[in-house]
Amino acid sequence: MATTLGQAPPSGPPRTELGGSARAALARRENTRTRILRVVVLLVAVAVLVRGWMVTEIDLGKLTNAPNAAPILKALVQPDVAARDVTQVELQLPFVVGAGSTGPAVVSDQSGQTLRVDPGSASPGQAITFDGSGFAADADGQLRIQNPSRGLDALFTRVHTDGKGAFHEVRVWPDYNTLPPDVYQFRLILNAPTGSVHLSETLISSLGRMGETILLALMGTVFGVVFSVPLSFLGARNLMGGSPIGRAIYGLVRLVFTITRSIEVLILGVIMVVIVGIGSYAGVLAIVVHSIGSLGKLYSEAIEGIEPGPVEAITATGADRLSTVVYGVVPQVIPTFLAVTIYWWDHNVRMSTVLGLVGGGGIGFLLIQYMNLLQFNQAATVLWMIVIVVTAMDYASAAIRSRLV
Amino acid sequence: MLVLEHLVKDYPGGIRALEDVSIEVRDGEFLVLIGLSGSGKSTLLRCINRLVEPSGGRILLDDLDITAARASDLRKIRRSIGMIFQQFNLVRRSSVLTNVLTGRLGYVSQWQGLLAHFGEEDYRRALINLERVGLRERAHQRADRLSGGQQQRVAIARALMQEPKIMLADEPVASLDPATSHSVLKYLQQINREGMTVICSLHYLSLARTYGTRVIALKAGRLMFDGKPSEIDADRFRSIYGEEAVEVEIE
Repeated sequence: MATTLGQAPPSGPPRTELGGSARAALARRENTRTRILRVVVLLVAVAVLVRGWMVTEIDLGKLTNAPNAAPILKALVQPDVAARDVTQVELQLPFVVGAGSTGPAVVSDQSGQTLRVDPGSASPGQAITFDGSGFAADADGQLRIQNPSRGLDALFTRVHTDGKGAFHEVRVWPDYNTLPPDVYQFRLILNAPTGSVHLSETLISSLGRMGETILLALMGTVFGVVFSVPLSFLGARNLMGGSPIGRAIYGLVRLVFTITRSIEVLILGVIMVVIVGIGSYAGVLAIVVHSIGSLGKLYSEAIEGIEPGPVEAITATGADRLSTVVYGVVPQVIPTFLAVTIYWWDHNVRMSTVLGLVGGGGIGFLLIQYMNLLQFNQAATVLWMIVIVVTAMDYASAAIRSRLV
Repeated sequence: MLVLEHLVKDYPGGIRALEDVSIEVRDGEFLVLIGLSGSGKSTLLRCINRLVEPSGGRILLDDLDITAARASDLRKIRRSIGMIFQQFNLVRRSSVLTNVLTGRLGYVSQWQGLLAHFGEEDYRRALINLERVGLRERAHQRADRLSGGQQQRVAIARALMQEPKIMLADEPVASLDPATSHSVLKYLQQINREGMTVICSLHYLSLARTYGTRVIALKAGRLMFDGKPSEIDADRFRSIYGEEAVEVEIE
């Protein structure tokens, strides 16, 4: 027979029914295959988890080191939020090491604040009593020993006054290698809390930094919106899908969104610090770039979700493309755009709190500074402030959004 | 006069929505399109103002070839063809007045439209058209505050802003209750009696008989019937709607 290109249509209806035994055999084979597949998937999953455990060096034993974090955790309970003014009091008293008088040495000032050292001279191994009286209650201070000709000015002991403004310390005198025989001078410096309680320096500076953080997020969001709103219309498939050029622009814009969105804010922060230097400006730039991608995508999706009917109706009136968008699309997307923008500002405030870690300004800068200096109470102040502000922003933005949409 | 010559429309995926449809619509007719869902009524209407691009054939409006028009000419042609829709297609969040004014966008220049600068004359015209559909006092309400029938009347006012020669109506009463349907169709009838050609697709034959001066039936994209409403007897009805169909009257 000659070659035929076309094939005859299958005769009769397609075979959909199988005999009983054939069906059972097929079911059995299906069953075995599914079972094997299931085991393979399970094995692969277990292998991946085991590898993950090894790569990330998970070691439950190390969790016993948890008490190491105690200073930080304790500090969280005692954030540095309040302080009192202190007044400094100074008293000076000459003191002989080696031979000398055995009577007590006493010095007082006009207000009756007295330091008494007994005996008034000392030799190695001798117990010396320091008594203070007439000072402010609850004052911290140090007793220093000085000798200008030897260039000596050292802390001898710390003192703390009791509720009546007195202290009592006994110290054993060190050997001559430490303090050779000579005439020395004791100098008592007491910091007495006076005046009323007020906000601590830490709290004031973190409030300032928090304000900066919120403004940083605001500026980043505003410029992010300025760039992403026009782009979002070019990145909406329903507006751009009509022509090949439109689709090309759509693809390009979506690519820009994806790329800017895929780089985390902290990484962008590092890059921006290199360009414009440490400070809030770098943080703003990092947030702008990241926001363009995320906001643009959210806006574009809002545009793609509009009712097509009004757009069709306005097109039918003979309106040009731009007018159709202005009158048919914009009114439909405004509430969603507002809601998305407020949500994103809230999100950006959260991002801004960590930007300081890489020099991007804001409150994170203060946090990392306190942490590096091991000032955990101060760090706790900053942490609590972040918690409060972020929570408040979260609630506020949710409340506003629920009214909009 | 509107002339459709051998109109064909293929959708992607090999679906032929219109198959060699030729019709002449004389000025002043109230032409009713009937046919089952999917018979090509909406496609036919949308080919006339090229919301849907025809795949073959020609459409001539007063000897002007719509199918060959370029973008800028198409805008001018579109503004002479008003259209209303089953779902009214108003911008819900905009005011009634703004919705009516958008009917004028085919006349304002791009930048005027962008800056929301409709002229004094446009506002006056919008209020007159709202008056014609009996909704003058609703001008400043949001469109979604209105009932379905009122929204469709706003849509008619919007189309009237174009000062069209022809009014296309795609299932204009399919989302409305019977009483409201009649009210909307009466407005279309009134416009028709003032001289405008109306081409309207309808589900109910009873409405077609009441309002149409001529009926065209489509079945699977082909022209099945073209004649007076009174000529559709039981046999014709079954050939259009299928053997099992039963005619439902709408009061």
